[in-house]
Amino acid sequence: MAQIFDRSSNALARASLVLTGLIVIALGVTLDQLQRSPWVTRQGQRPDQPVPFSHKHHVQGLGVQCQYCHVTVEKSSYAGIPPTKTCMNCHAQIWTNAQLLEPVRQSWATGQSLAWIKVHDLPDYVYFSHEIHVNKGIGCASCHGRVDQMPLMYAENTLQMEWCLDCHRNSAKNLRPTSEIYNMAWEKPSSDKPVWCAVGDEKSGVPTAETVNCVTKEPAENGNEMSPLLGQIGIAPSKYMKFTSQDELGRFLVVHYKIRTPNELASCEVCHR
Amino acid sequence: MSEKMKNLVTTIGPAPMTLAAVRKELKGSAGKRYWRSVDELANTPEFQAAVDREFPGSPHSWGDDVSRRGFLKFMGASMALAGLAGCTKQPDEPIYPYVKQPEDLIPGKPMYFATAHPFVTGAVPLLVKCDQFRPIKIDGNPEHPYNQGSSDPFTQATLLDLYDPDRSQHVTYRGENREWAEFAQEFRQKVASTKDGSGIYFLSETITSPTLARQWKAVQAAWPKATLVQYDPAITGTAAASGLNVQYDLAEADVIVSLDADFLSGAGFPGFHKLVREYADQRKTPEKLNRLYAIESTPTTTGLKAEHRLGLRASEIPAFAAELAKAVGVSGVDAPSYAWTDEQKKFLVALAKDLKAHAGKCVVIPGLYQDPSVARYAIVINSVLGNSGKTLFYPAPPVQVHPLYSSPDSDLKALVADLNAGKVDWLMILNANPVYNAPADLEFAAALEKAKMTAHLGSHVDETGQNAQWHIPAAHFLESWSDARAYDGTVSIVQPMIDPLYGGKTAHHVFQTLLSEPMVSPYDAVRETWRPVIKGDFETGWRKALHQGWLEGTAYPVMSYETIGALGEVPAPSPKDSLEIIFRPDPNIYDGRWSNVGWLQELPKPVTNLSWDSAAIISGATLTKYGLEEDDIVELSVQGRKVKAPVIVAPGHPDNSITVYLGYGREFAGRVGSGTGFNAYLIRTANAPFYAVGTIKKVEGKWGLAVTKSHYQDHRPKLFGGQGNGNNSLEADEAISERGIIRYATLAEFKANPGFANEGPSHEKTDRDNTMFPNWEYKENAWGMSIDMNSCTGCNACIVGCYAENNIAVVGKQQVRIGRNMQWLRIDTYFEGDLAAPRAHFQPMACQHCENAPCEQVCPVGATVHTPEGLNAMVYNRCVGTRYCSNNCPYKVRRFNFLLYSDFETESLKLMRNPDVTVRSRGVMEKCTYCVQRISAAKIEADKENRPVRDGEVVTACQQACPASAISFGNINDKQSKVAKLQADERSYQVLADLNTRPRTKYVAAVLNPNPELEDAPVEHKPAKG
Repeated sequence: MAQIFDRSSNALARASLVLTGLIVIALGVTLDQLQRSPWVTRQGQRPDQPVPFSHKHHVQGLGVQCQYCHVTVEKSSYAGIPPTKTCMNCHAQIWTNAQLLEPVRQSWATGQSLAWIKVHDLPDYVYFSHEIHVNKGIGCASCHGRVDQMPLMYAENTLQMEWCLDCHRNSAKNLRPTSEIYNMAWEKPSSDKPVWCAVGDEKSGVPTAETVNCVTKEPAENGNEMSPLLGQIGIAPSKYMKFTSQDELGRFLVVHYKIRTPNELASCEVCHR
Repeated sequence: MSEKMKNLVTTIGPAPMTLAAVRKELKGSAGKRYWRSVDELANTPEFQAAVDREFPGSPHSWGDDVSRRGFLKFMGASMALAGLAGCTKQPDEPIYPYVKQPEDLIPGKPMYFATAHPFVTGAVPLLVKCDQFRPIKIDGNPEHPYNQGSSDPFTQATLLDLYDPDRSQHVTYRGENREWAEFAQEFRQKVASTKDGSGIYFLSETITSPTLARQWKAVQAAWPKATLVQYDPAITGTAAASGLNVQYDLAEADVIVSLDADFLSGAGFPGFHKLVREYADQRKTPEKLNRLYAIESTPTTTGLKAEHRLGLRASEIPAFAAELAKAVGVSGVDAPSYAWTDEQKKFLVALAKDLKAHAGKCVVIPGLYQDPSVARYAIVINSVLGNSGKTLFYPAPPVQVHPLYSSPDSDLKALVADLNAGKVDWLMILNANPVYNAPADLEFAAALEKAKMTAHLGSHVDETGQNAQWHIPAAHFLESWSDARAYDGTVSIVQPMIDPLYGGKTAHHVFQTLLSEPMVSPYDAVRETWRPVIKGDFETGWRKALHQGWLEGTAYPVMSYETIGALGEVPAPSPKDSLEIIFRPDPNIYDGRWSNVGWLQELPKPVTNLSWDSAAIISGATLTKYGLEEDDIVELSVQGRKVKAPVIVAPGHPDNSITVYLGYGREFAGRVGSGTGFNAYLIRTANAPFYAVGTIKKVEGKWGLAVTKSHYQDHRPKLFGGQGNGNNSLEADEAISERGIIRYATLAEFKANPGFANEGPSHEKTDRDNTMFPNWEYKENAWGMSIDMNSCTGCNACIVGCYAENNIAVVGKQQVRIGRNMQWLRIDTYFEGDLAAPRAHFQPMACQHCENAPCEQVCPVGATVHTPEGLNAMVYNRCVGTRYCSNNCPYKVRRFNFLLYSDFETESLKLMRNPDVTVRSRGVMEKCTYCVQRISAAKIEADKENRPVRDGEVVTACQQACPASAISFGNINDKQSKVAKLQADERSYQVLADLNTRPRTKYVAAVLNPNPELEDAPVEHKPAKG
């Protein structure tokens, strides 16, 4: 009986083995990438909102401070979405006939809430708190990106667990002085743009923001352009240390802002209950 | 379910057993003998089968009949979904901001408002936690002098009552939707047409609101012939309803005697919160221990907590009270002659002697559900012993919690007579359900039909609502303005937390409709009542009263009570061989008003651990006498009225006596409560509301009770420390090899050996170095709990508090029967000694947060892990449901979501959930977290303020609810904290310390204070100790 499989079949068989392996790997890689892709995370996507609200216009153009709308960011887990009333504070006076603002006026007239679509949407089993982050030196832009440059809001980051843990395992790399929390344009210190920090009288029960002071201009003996806080804290300019890298500054702030250890911050119960 | 399937499902419940078997078991044992259920004691094959499987029948027992083919289909579908689930993205979620945000609101931070739960035995002052103006947790008002922050199961569960999806939602007339205004107009016109109010009748629940009483008096002035009848099945006819409101002060009482007074087990007894607190305060240190004697007709936690307990039939107690009066030296006592047993005589003599020795420092508390003579004799006994003005006070003048009480000539009987005589033109029923709970001999439902018009104000379209022509939805107390007095007389303003969900109205609205200014709101009416009382600027005083939760200076003025009236007749006990039936309001659902509250239905009742049902509770001897087995169905009859009930044995129940709980067997309670249990009102008559002589007859069939006390049994082979002889439930192990789960000593033993709790072969301490794993250093916080076994009275308040705080699901009777109830916290009852006269130890048992946790070591996916502060955390999203952790947990405190128990659909329940706790889905394990959400909130606050978490800043839900302050929680690294001091106490021990799990929860061993003269009681009824 003639052989069913020719000698050349061996090569084919070998190739198919390799190919199968490759396909399995490729599938794995694809799924892995898919899971991290904007298709799943919605990173960078701009959903259709009832009003095409521009953070760029309001923040960069008009200089509205973050907390004007997001009132509870320092006090609560929620930053707070402004009520229609906040919009109407200005828009009862300006752009009163703009077609774009019709839903806002509708809401004001009927008492029905504007239905925004959540852009930064954490899973329901994650308990995130804005208040502790902004009180401990994580700036708005660290997570939300340059909101002042976003005509339409989108998520700058994936907000996936690995992204959270990346910082919780090494918070030094994103810490900034609490006086710079709302500064969208804050840049990490470098030799061109150093940061000077000093620590006053550290006491239990006194919030760290009141004892640690940082400035971006070199504090001179005669005190030109000092943070107004400096006077209150009463730190001699000579006490200020100069930081030229985020690494140095971060390590300094971890100590003086009493940031919990990576072990504590990466513990499950911090975010999941 | 197919027949085959049925066989595969093992039900954990009472199994057949005989008293002979139990007695045999008991006789063979030496030393301290503890047992959890009668089945265990009898060690029946059924019990062993149940113990064999921790989660009996788990792989097979589906709720429905699912064919193999169907099963595969489902599996296929769920597999496909599981694969996809990893790649799905979240749906778009909308945000609805306010249009105008309330000024003080910080979304995400709770707000707290003071109010009160206007309960029939006295208002419970509250501080309600609201999340964006939705009440989400009810707790006692910590600053109120009466309850000082504690609560009870009823009060905790009123939250679910508010969000009950079955509450009625519309005003209806003969089933058609109407408006409140239409009703008000018709009612007003009708009353106006009578000129003097004749033919207008009101039937109300007990009126507790002084404002409502004032409004009624105004109605009466305007329509003098209108009649008000008050009826509350659990209160009407008791001393509490007849105007006597004694204030007990247990802080100074060294000897406490309960004459059928169940003052330690729930808010059904007036002054519960204060009495438990004061009782427990005297149990905290062995230097100052009180002594409790209980003479009771049905086993309650009060009796089982007592140093000395005497079970008597209900009808014997008045005679016993008279004998006691005679023995302490009251003159002119006419005690009926009765053949007391030697044991009873001995008890009486010792008790009287002890009382006399503690004259002025003791107190006798009469029961609520007893003959009025018991209350009279208690007054006399207290008076003779010089206790009046020391351990008990009488309000002067005798004002009471109930501002109006039914005068004898306007009671329910008279109303029924008037109904039958056709005198009733309009019957307005206010929050009462007489069709269901009126005495059976009054035939209320038939009489109701003779009223020309009936209207019903109620939270549900219940049995009465079904029979009334008008129905008006009643507002919950969390939705309405009112007022009420606490036990001590302090007035609390009841203020609403939320707008009425379904436009409900209150009795205030109904009465006001008939007055000259019908539009005065309850808010204005309440303000009007207190305007003369508030001194100084009214607005300031009013705001202060709302803020702090009570009106200053409204507590009763007290005086001692020296006028002793005629002692009166003492009814003779019923013949010894007659069968008595005792009626008691249910410890969970009271008179049936909380029938539709799933938390209370599922809550295991104290003593019997029965859930979702009521039963005829009897003693083991009576069970044998009538040839019954547990779970058998019997027919109870009283004066020709019959009802079928299942039988269950309660250790310590008096013989020839049956306890039945009221409140079950409802037809129109709602989706949860309808059809559970049997209706004991069917055999309760107006003349014998609390006990009657009846008969019992066995009928065919088994009932299928859900009893949780046989759950959570540990079962291990010899290899792992078990007995390996078939008698190896954890409890049996414990009893034989003395593992010391319960450790206690008498005062004398404690004095001789203060370290008793941690000494001896079975009382090992944990060894920190004996571990395969590297030890973790807890630097800053190390959370721990301490539970005082001497204080816990087993009242269940903690469990219901835990339900509310942690979004715990209700699973239903069938699931409870197969051991799947989800309570994170349970109260283990360990009985000790003789079946007929046991003592019990109540041990709250939740996750022990072991430092060396066995569960963590076996989780294949790292879903249960240790935190740097020593919490045993559960990560629901990682859990794949292997249940290894539960298998490996020696405390059996992990609960698994076998099915989708949480209700994700019902809108009203969504409002109730604690937003800080995940609502768990199917297939995940869950357990006590030490209220990690509260720890996190406190830590964030502390970190913001740059300070350590203060002692007392983190309060767990169970700790907060506990009226006995038995639970302490805090940082054990802080040596100054309360919990660290308690844990360092030489009486503190860890349960199953020999396993080296190093639990973070420690128990403070009890020290009892028995009367030496009663320590050697007759053999048959002798508790093993004490």
